[in-house]
Amino acid sequence: MKPLHYLTLVLLILALIIALVPRNTIRPYKLTAAQLLAEIRTGTQFISPDEVADKIIQKDPSIQLIDVRNPREFDQFSLPGAINIPLQDILSDGNYDLLNQGTKMNIFYSNGSTEANEAWLLTRQLGYQNNYVLQGGLNYWMETILNPSKPGNIASNDELAKYDFRKSASMALGGGGASAMAPAAVSPATMTPKPGVIPVKKKKKASGGC
Amino acid sequence: MGPLAINDIISQNTNFLLAFVIGIGFGFVLEQSGFSSSRKLAGLFYGYDMVVLKVFFTGGVTAMLGLLFFSLFGWVDLNLVYVNPTFLTSAIVGGLIMGVGFIMGGFCPGTSFCGAAIGKIDAMVFIAGLFIGVYFFAFGYPMFETLYKSAAMGSPKISSMLGLADGVFALILVIVALGMFYVSEWVEKKFPREEY
Repeated sequence: MKPLHYLTLVLLILALIIALVPRNTIRPYKLTAAQLLAEIRTGTQFISPDEVADKIIQKDPSIQLIDVRNPREFDQFSLPGAINIPLQDILSDGNYDLLNQGTKMNIFYSNGSTEANEAWLLTRQLGYQNNYVLQGGLNYWMETILNPSKPGNIASNDELAKYDFRKSASMALGGGGASAMAPAAVSPATMTPKPGVIPVKKKKKASGGC
Repeated sequence: MGPLAINDIISQNTNFLLAFVIGIGFGFVLEQSGFSSSRKLAGLFYGYDMVVLKVFFTGGVTAMLGLLFFSLFGWVDLNLVYVNPTFLTSAIVGGLIMGVGFIMGGFCPGTSFCGAAIGKIDAMVFIAGLFIGVYFFAFGYPMFETLYKSAAMGSPKISSMLGLADGVFALILVIVALGMFYVSEWVEKKFPREEY
């Protein structure tokens, strides 16, 4: 057999195989590790407790609070209007439409921010959008919204305004006594937002010729 | 997992190192296959030597099948593979200029460097011409810009333009390439040239 005949045979067999098999569409991760790292470093997933409190009080219909703790903890205490999706159920089929949609803003929360962050990390890596994390979790929520501490005498107007807002939010959300119901503190927030890092644009690839 | 550099499996510098090694390999194979002779490329035009066509189409279909199999096995994400954007007008005009240059000079940019590396003076002259062309284009860019950027098509794939699955198009292309190989064998017999 001539070399050309060998080539014909091999190429035809391979091409036939590739023409007959269905295309591999399994792409579990839509974001590369580098893209995800850039997002984590910019901390865009975090929403401050003040912002969330404001939205809850205004009954903003565009937010959906998602409690990723276990059902027992959820029953003991939860934020108004929150639904419970324990972290281990985050990838189950029933939750797909809720977590991957373009209208509502999902806000994950847990006691600290670790579990909520894990939920965000999983969904974000799958390419889902509109998922966020309550900064500092419920522990920080207790500290800032339900039991705000009065700023010192030399505090700036901004801080005083923030305090006033928190005080009124605390009243609206049933604060003060709420600390008694507070869930057992878990490890403090392990992730804090860092100053923004803009992802570097990919360099243009060298194009080849013959 | 692939492409390696984009997914940060290897660093950008390792990528360049690999490109360097592959480039040397490419040049070595070109030289060993006799591509450093200007008669090889000219032969394609006159019909006495169709090796260039066979080599580049074999390379093309091999890479195509390789990528499709890699994608099938989940080794490479084809969406992340960089594809040069198509500017149709400049592709046609550039193709014509390149083609005429190939026949006149007897080299393509790659083979001219192979030829120069083994000391061929015609290849060095060709490289000088290549640089004159590069400078002419670069400094005259405002003149060519409209033409250069017209008919921008993004990065289209023929298979999706025809509405075919990638694999089916690959099969068709392999059959076409093999057909061309047999035709070129016939052409070589039809227009033999003994003295080169």
